[in-house]
Amino acid sequence: MPKDIIIELTINGKNIKAEQGMTILQAAQKNGIYIPNMCYDRRLKPYGGCRLCVVELEGQKRLFAACSTPAEDGMIVHTETPKLAKARKTVLELLLVHHPLDCPICDKAGECDLQDLAFKYGPSQSRFTAERKHDPERVDAPIVERNPNRCILCGKCVRVCAEHQGVGAINLIGRGFKTKVSPAFEETLNCEFCGQCIDACPVGALGAKPYRFRSRVWYMDEYEAICPYCGCGCTTNLSLREGRIIRARGKDGIGINEGNLCGKGRFGFDYIYSENRITTPMIKKDGKLVPVSWEEALQYVAKRLEDIKGKYGPSAIGAIGSQRCTIEDNYMLQKFMREVVGTDNIDSVARFGYAKAQKALEKAYDVDFMPIKWKAPLNADFMLVVESDITSTLPVWGLNFIKAKNDGATLVVADVKETKLARNSTQWLRIKPGSGTALLNGMMKVIIDGGLYDKDKTSAVPNFDALTAGLKEFTPQAVSNITGISEDAIISLARSYAYPGKRLIALTSNISENTKSMNTILAAANLAILMGDDPDTVQVPAEFSNTAGMWMSGVRPLSGGKDVYDMLYEPGAVKALYIMGENPIVTFQDAARVEKTLKGLELLIVQDIFLKEAARIADVVLPACSWAEKEGTFMSATGNIQKTPKLVAETGQSVPDWKIFRNLARVMNKDLGLKDITAIRAAIADMIVSGETKDIRRSFNPASYEVMETVSEEYPMFLVTSNILQHSGALSVLSKNLDSVVSDAYLQVNTKDAKKHGIHDDAFVRVKSKRGEVYLKAMLSDEVPEGTVFAPLHFAHAKVNALTYPSLNGGLPLVAVSIEAA
Amino acid sequence: MEKFLLRNIENPNSTDINEYIKAGGYKALLKAVEMKPADIVSEVRKSGLRGRGGAGFPTGMKWAFASADPKKPRYMLCNADEGEPGTFKDRPILEKNPHLLIEGMIISGYALEAEYGYIYIRGEYPAAKDILDAAIKQAHEKGYLGDNVSGKGVRFHLYVHQGAGAYICGEETALIESLEGKRGQPRIKPPFPVNEGFLSKPTIINNVETLANIPYIIEIGADAYAEIGSPDCPGPKLYSVSGHVKRPGVYELPMGITLREIIYDHCGGIRGDKKLKAVIPGGISTPILPADAIDCPMDFVNMPKHGSMLGSGAVMVFDETVDLVKVCYRAIKFFEHESCGKCTPCREGVGWMRAILERISGGSGTAEDIDLLIEVSNNITGKTFCPLGDGAAMVVQNFVKNFRSEFEEKIH
Ligand SMILES: Cc1cc2nc3c(=O)[nH]c(=O)nc-3n(C[C@H](O)[C@H](O)[C@H](O)COP(=O)(O)O)c2cc1C
Ligand code: SF4
Ligand code: SF4
Ligand code: SF4
Ligand code: SF4
Ligand code: FES
Repeated sequence: MPKDIIIELTINGKNIKAEQGMTILQAAQKNGIYIPNMCYDRRLKPYGGCRLCVVELEGQKRLFAACSTPAEDGMIVHTETPKLAKARKTVLELLLVHHPLDCPICDKAGECDLQDLAFKYGPSQSRFTAERKHDPERVDAPIVERNPNRCILCGKCVRVCAEHQGVGAINLIGRGFKTKVSPAFEETLNCEFCGQCIDACPVGALGAKPYRFRSRVWYMDEYEAICPYCGCGCTTNLSLREGRIIRARGKDGIGINEGNLCGKGRFGFDYIYSENRITTPMIKKDGKLVPVSWEEALQYVAKRLEDIKGKYGPSAIGAIGSQRCTIEDNYMLQKFMREVVGTDNIDSVARFGYAKAQKALEKAYDVDFMPIKWKAPLNADFMLVVESDITSTLPVWGLNFIKAKNDGATLVVADVKETKLARNSTQWLRIKPGSGTALLNGMMKVIIDGGLYDKDKTSAVPNFDALTAGLKEFTPQAVSNITGISEDAIISLARSYAYPGKRLIALTSNISENTKSMNTILAAANLAILMGDDPDTVQVPAEFSNTAGMWMSGVRPLSGGKDVYDMLYEPGAVKALYIMGENPIVTFQDAARVEKTLKGLELLIVQDIFLKEAARIADVVLPACSWAEKEGTFMSATGNIQKTPKLVAETGQSVPDWKIFRNLARVMNKDLGLKDITAIRAAIADMIVSGETKDIRRSFNPASYEVMETVSEEYPMFLVTSNILQHSGALSVLSKNLDSVVSDAYLQVNTKDAKKHGIHDDAFVRVKSKRGEVYLKAMLSDEVPEGTVFAPLHFAHAKVNALTYPSLNGGLPLVAVSIEAA
Repeated sequence: MEKFLLRNIENPNSTDINEYIKAGGYKALLKAVEMKPADIVSEVRKSGLRGRGGAGFPTGMKWAFASADPKKPRYMLCNADEGEPGTFKDRPILEKNPHLLIEGMIISGYALEAEYGYIYIRGEYPAAKDILDAAIKQAHEKGYLGDNVSGKGVRFHLYVHQGAGAYICGEETALIESLEGKRGQPRIKPPFPVNEGFLSKPTIINNVETLANIPYIIEIGADAYAEIGSPDCPGPKLYSVSGHVKRPGVYELPMGITLREIIYDHCGGIRGDKKLKAVIPGGISTPILPADAIDCPMDFVNMPKHGSMLGSGAVMVFDETVDLVKVCYRAIKFFEHESCGKCTPCREGVGWMRAILERISGGSGTAEDIDLLIEVSNNITGKTFCPLGDGAAMVVQNFVKNFRSEFEEKIH
């Protein structure tokens, strides 16, 4: 229905305007008129179950549910009449008859809709006695607890899970009075544990186990913070009791996420309380790290840096920044390195992640940074997602793809894995791992050969001939061979893509992924330019909470310095390395090589919140404050710069990263001129230009399809690596809450392959590549096809990166492996 | 009256396609495919046919709404859920005359340019399911179903889907949900199924008996059809009569025949020549009538003027020995059991009414209970999501209105 038609109606004698297609409830809410409701949720299709939102319409005898009755021009609505008060009172009376009324021990008490509405409209006394519900509570699953007795069957949890979250792990089972919310066959809940259902529940029927019996709501203070995990930059609402964060939740309408959160944002906050926190500075003495004072540590670092600089020159010193640290932290790191040490060897792990996208988009559009648009999927008619598990990388942004599809847009997913978006797509093309680049090239060839591209707009774009020349070999037949899908599927995909309408290609560019390269993103950009589309039809998000901010604050070589590849994979390229908030031994590919380089350094300084692999082999370890222990700003993938506050006390002697650099500079007799966070913010204000893309200059850049390693008799299968939904880099595994969901590495193996190799579910598998071997637990699953195995990279002890290798440019770092039952 | 809906059913091989054809079957289809689809829709409109599923909605109007929606594909659904207590009128068609329904569906599909049809049949009719499957197979073999119906290039495929025993799945939107593989719960209207039904596409849903009337309309023409029965509500009607009559069963009689005629002329009067106490004329959800109110014409237009409704035409007859409080209690127990649980007033309120009725019926009711019962029912009426809950409240209200003294006698 056209939204732009404005209708007029009267509610409680007040003349109001509304958009055609709105329900009475939406029209009322838009005009600040309150109508009680319990089963309505802005994100979901109207349900009309609770019957609390009933209103009277003049000229009609029966009552109408405001949440599910369209507002009409000229309607005369009454929302508070004696008749309605009676109807609502009855509804509440009916809901209370069987309710356990265990408010004194219910975690929801104080913010429960049933309590509040009963107080406002309900009966003071019930005329009916019946047995109260007394089903057992279900606390058998991780994270989510269910108390069916308190449930009022509004169905919000079920609908949020299926409609909005694209999962469908729970449903209403049984009928009538016996209806209850449950996973299939009343088994233990096994889902993605996002917790969206918990926030949606108006009563205490669903709860977060980590919060169970922890506090009464009125003893807590709630603060808004920015989630420390991914590039979405969600606002999470943290509840504190006695200085400790005990709960996080989304709040309707708040933040870019408008109240949605993924499991990481909702439950992952407790990593800051991990036992593994570094609490004091440490220096290696006689091969062992021993606690020292800050003074001693800084003096030591200063001296060693001066020594190495004196001996080899400043270019023998390098630094690695962090996508998790704030803009202020990263800014001070590079300022310290450039101004005090005098080196441009500054980089980060994003070199193998978002930097590929950045480089590709710079080539294609001549821009330095291209933020994503939050609503891009919602404005598209046709979305193509190539080998990208968006709902794992940027979970809440990913929901927009599902919503767009539910609202009628076409979603095509090309992926070897059955991702959540694949399950929610219009069409899922199961291509061979890493063949996305070839698919995009094949599409372009069909489009060019069929004359379906925008000839006017492309005529001025340089390199068109080089593009067509490069595409010559990508005939439907050749691409069909590479991708494993039929020629017809390729041709029809190309044609539907070229069909008039608003197009969108979305890809991720993560460190952990090995099925894409810079060339994949180049190919996507070529396709968009070919169709005459705007640059924001290619959406490549920055991965972590401050990937974009780190990039923008200068953590990368700016004047010919060494990048992270040189520093970590070329032993001896630098003599000293200063690592902030990163654990390269886990996050970087080909871990053995990285470890060797680190061990060969004359000086390794690790400044972090946890004592992990790299810190353990360091010469100096400096304790940094974590998120929520310091104030700072993040730049999200959308380019938004958001402040996140200091809410809790520092752990041990930890100090904010930026302050460590300020202090260290002072020890080295240099004043960086920035004494506090306000001064830093002022200094970076003009360095970081957020958001809007400037002038762009388009050009075509032929994208070749180069696989760096192929399967052989010895290594007959491809290993695909990437993120999983419940984790984020190597950080989230330190959250006890998230650990309770997925606590160990695993290897997804197709059931047929498993049978062939005699591999059983949950049994160990030996996985071997040219570079090394690891043991992983098998997870039999048809999410991967025969011939492909999948492993997440989050778990340090599993050392999956012993198998992998890095790729800086266009080559695809696919990993050929062999598997056998261990 | 000449039978049409039940024509041929005495023949022991009535389900065989050859027997059906011998008796004149599939002729209407051959005639229909020579007509323009829009002409069939207007013919049905002109016939005055009203839906036989219970609500009596003019079929031609429903078809015209669906035809006006340009979205394709469209789907043709047949409601064979027949779950209303007392109702078994569709069963003889399903079990004895399946080709009549199939022919009706093919014509309807053609008229509405729907290429796929589904018959949603109640799970408790397993025999009918097998019979329909066999009949559909035969119709395929004869070329009445498939990609080239009767060689005219018309496509129509027909499938049977079995329900799993929920009364609510007879409600058209719950039926669609169920057919889509979801939980059987009614959907919000609008959008109406004619615009957004099965798989969100325009969907026409009609009762078995409604669809079985279509071949007849084509065969004799709308004008002749409109002459049968009541002027505003024409056609033959199946009445399923149960209870204390001498000859219970399904009767094909014209619309508008009176209850008295059905009970005394066709069903042979009350068993044991006892006195009639009450009649439920159209299935359990329709208001119960006292014995002196049975001179009402049984059709959709006239019954409301006589204090009840035609419903599904399921006549339930109670003689003087029946304890009506108990009947009321049993009826509400049924609704409690069948409430889908979606909306609060029905899910919780019907159970409450059942509990009060259980008390009264069991002799432990109090003086206030009857008023409380009415009060609870009033708080359900007009506030539920779908007509099931409303229907339950109405049953209580009408039992108490017409037979209050029986309730009072139970209170000591
Ligand atoms: C609770 C409930 C149960 C129903 N059960 C049936 C049924 O079993 N069979 C049927 O044909 N219609 C049933 N209906 C009516 C249908 O919703 C719908 O009106 C009918 O199938 C339309 O077909 P018609 O226009 O041919 O009558 C039921 C309605 C309600 C509210
Ligand atoms: S936690 Fe998320 S996935 Fe699990 S049931 Fe709730 S909404 Fe569904
Ligand atoms: S568990 Fe909560 S959200 Fe789910 S149906 Fe019950 S009350 Fe509603
Ligand atoms: S991890 Fe990302 S999607 Fe999840 S809550 Fe945090 S910012 Fe939002
Ligand atoms: S009235 Fe409500 S609970 Fe009852 S069957 Fe209809 S939708 Fe379900
Ligand atoms: S909010 Fe409208 S029925 Fe629940």
